[in-house]
Amino acid sequence: MAKRILIVDDSASVRQVSNMALTRAGYEVIEATDGQDALGKLAGKINLIISDVNMPRMDGISFLKAVKAHPNYKFTPVIMLTTEAGEDKKNEGRAAGAKAWIVKPFQPQTMLDAVAKLCLA
Amino acid sequence: MQKVVRLFKRVSVDVPVRPEVNVADAVCVQALPIWSKQIETARLQTEEAIVALSARFAGIVNRLDLALDASQHHSGDADLAQALEAGRRELARVMESLTEIHQSRSTLATQIRSLAAHSSELAKMASEVEQIAFQTNMLALNAAIEAAHVGEAGRGFAVVAHEVRNLATASRETGKGITEKIALVNESLAKIIDTNETVSVREGKALHDSENRIQNVLGQFGDMSASLSRSSEDLRRESGVIKDEIAESMVQLQFQDRVGQIMSQVVGSMRDLDQRASAVVRGEQPALDAEAYMTQMINTYTTDEQRRNHQSGISHTGPVNEPTGTLKVQGGSDIEYF
Repeated sequence: MAKRILIVDDSASVRQVSNMALTRAGYEVIEATDGQDALGKLAGKINLIISDVNMPRMDGISFLKAVKAHPNYKFTPVIMLTTEAGEDKKNEGRAAGAKAWIVKPFQPQTMLDAVAKLCLA
Repeated sequence: MQKVVRLFKRVSVDVPVRPEVNVADAVCVQALPIWSKQIETARLQTEEAIVALSARFAGIVNRLDLALDASQHHSGDADLAQALEAGRRELARVMESLTEIHQSRSTLATQIRSLAAHSSELAKMASEVEQIAFQTNMLALNAAIEAAHVGEAGRGFAVVAHEVRNLATASRETGKGITEKIALVNESLAKIIDTNETVSVREGKALHDSENRIQNVLGQFGDMSASLSRSSEDLRRESGVIKDEIAESMVQLQFQDRVGQIMSQVVGSMRDLDQRASAVVRGEQPALDAEAYMTQMINTYTTDEQRRNHQSGISHTGPVNEPTGTLKVQGGSDIEYF
């Protein structure tokens, strides 16, 4: 059974690149356009979440905190995929419970490696 | 006449306050909302175009995937090779059968020749029969002569001798008949052998020609199959390269995300400045503190190049610094595991 990945990003082109790479690698993908939208899509089995940081309505760090407070998804690994390369934001993500931090622009293979590694854990 | 307002408190000691600066402030107050709208329009148009382009690329990659899958599963390379091999086996069997028939004909010719050899023995035997009949006739003739010398007493013996001569004559005629028939049989056998050999030579030639033609056809079929297989492989390889190129192009389109964020920040800052400027114009707020404002703006940045541009562009004196260049996706991305 294919593993399900939730992609949260306000950029449609980033969602498309990520979705294509993951789908081709055999994953099932759900897309959300921001943190608020993603909260509404937390249902059923989700093996991993990939989230942007800077998004309208609800940013990635707030969404990450909401996931970690959710009884069903607090152990779901979250990868942050963002243009933010600053240490302050990274530390904020680490403190909130993110498992990895990928800086955009990214190679899909880097994301796939991280997904494979964290999905096994 | 435009109302001249003073938007910022000038805090830099090395920048003298000039009257035209106030005019520039006034222009800014009016231009800011327009600039922000223009930039927002450009951002939205870029985003829409990139999303559409990215969707097209994704569609092309998916179609190429489907085409490659179909090509790999239904290319028929394996089927063609199997059909060729099956054809070779079947035709080899046909050639074997034809060769066996050809060999049977040679065996038949050998047997007929052996029969001819037997018939010459028969001819010799018939000749011997004729010879015996001749000698028997001579013997009976002598016996009749001797019987005549004896006179009346030899009359009975003379009758017997006469009958023996009749038998000898009959035997000689039979021997002649056998010899003639054997000659006819031999003639027929010779014709059969000739015909058989002619047919055998023709058959051998036809067999050889057939084998050559079959090998030629199989060779052409094999060449065609190899050529098809090569074309198919070339097509698959080229499609794969195109697909990878398009996928890579899609990765490069991530610039839109960064550009979008940079533009959004600029638009946000402009709107904020517009609101504050309006408040200053209305006299609701004192002139802004430029240094504090710039420091506050740093917190709204989301990319390193914005921060670098800010640091390098903060000085108003001297030539304008070059902006930070575009960021392309190179071999590996920056990743950190926690």
